[in-house]
Amino acid sequence: MFKYSKKLEFPVNIKKKDLEMAKYLVTALGGSAGELAAATRYFIQSFSMPDERGKALLVDIATEELAHVEIISTMFRQLVKDATPEEIKKYNLGDYYTEHSKGVYPVNASGVPFDAKYIQSTGNPVVDLAEDMAAEEKARASYESIIDLTDNEDLLNPLLFLRQREVIHYNRFKELYEDYKDKYNM
Amino acid sequence: MLFDNDMMMFLTKDNQNNKTNDLVNEKEGLIRGNMFESEYKPYKNYNPNIINANNDKDSLFLKLYETNFAIIDLNLYLDLHPNDNQMYEIYKKYVNNFEKLKKMYEENFGPLEITCVDSDTYNWIKNPWPWDNDGGNQYV
Repeated sequence: MFKYSKKLEFPVNIKKKDLEMAKYLVTALGGSAGELAAATRYFIQSFSMPDERGKALLVDIATEELAHVEIISTMFRQLVKDATPEEIKKYNLGDYYTEHSKGVYPVNASGVPFDAKYIQSTGNPVVDLAEDMAAEEKARASYESIIDLTDNEDLLNPLLFLRQREVIHYNRFKELYEDYKDKYNM
Repeated sequence: MLFDNDMMMFLTKDNQNNKTNDLVNEKEGLIRGNMFESEYKPYKNYNPNIINANNDKDSLFLKLYETNFAIIDLNLYLDLHPNDNQMYEIYKKYVNNFEKLKKMYEENFGPLEITCVDSDTYNWIKNPWPWDNDGGNQYV
């Protein structure tokens, strides 16, 4: 089961609204390489991992990804909460606002809602881990694009942290992937 | 025979690489987003800023963040290297320290988990929640 801890994994305190960045950042929540996809992907894949190390790693990374869902949601909320309707229209968030006002809802940067097609669970640990490595690389690239688009340090610190976590998760998945390739002769 | 069996045991992969020598401290670890020097891959010329705490509460909270992060990162490493006892000893130190900091925080500033009952009244619901930053900057 899961236990909630009343803190984030990394501190977030965004002092100024920024609708434009909110529109880009939301893809890290609801996009194809976003944190919601990551948490769900690794959690469901853990059930078919063949040994103790794989079960532990997938569950533990999934749990951390859920903490990243919380970080991105916090950042998004803090970026939009003081916005006026005029600002929302100016930054093309009117479509979002119509259905979700200032609520947190998983969509990508173009407004497409989260889709289970973003994730896979093949029951084959080597195949699943190959997908996970690709997912971490896509998430890293996406964080780099978001970082390129802002100079707000309140955003940069958590974004740089999240980007480096993708690097580490990739390394862990890769190590397990290579072990399994040998072990199961796939 | 060049190595006896004990020697071969000593030369297992984990000991050869001794990953504990690769560790940075938890303060550096948190702002970088990882505890291992050789795995840190900065983006372009970006340097994450040092996080400053403005008061005793924030300062304790920040220590909690740092210690918690060290646990998270070492946990993932240990999942794949469960026999690395040197790393496990360091992990245990972080966990013990985290429990102490958590207790100190909860006694003074309220619960972090629903099982904390240090207060005379039920105060789990009290603001701020992790996404609140209206009343000052609890979240550093």
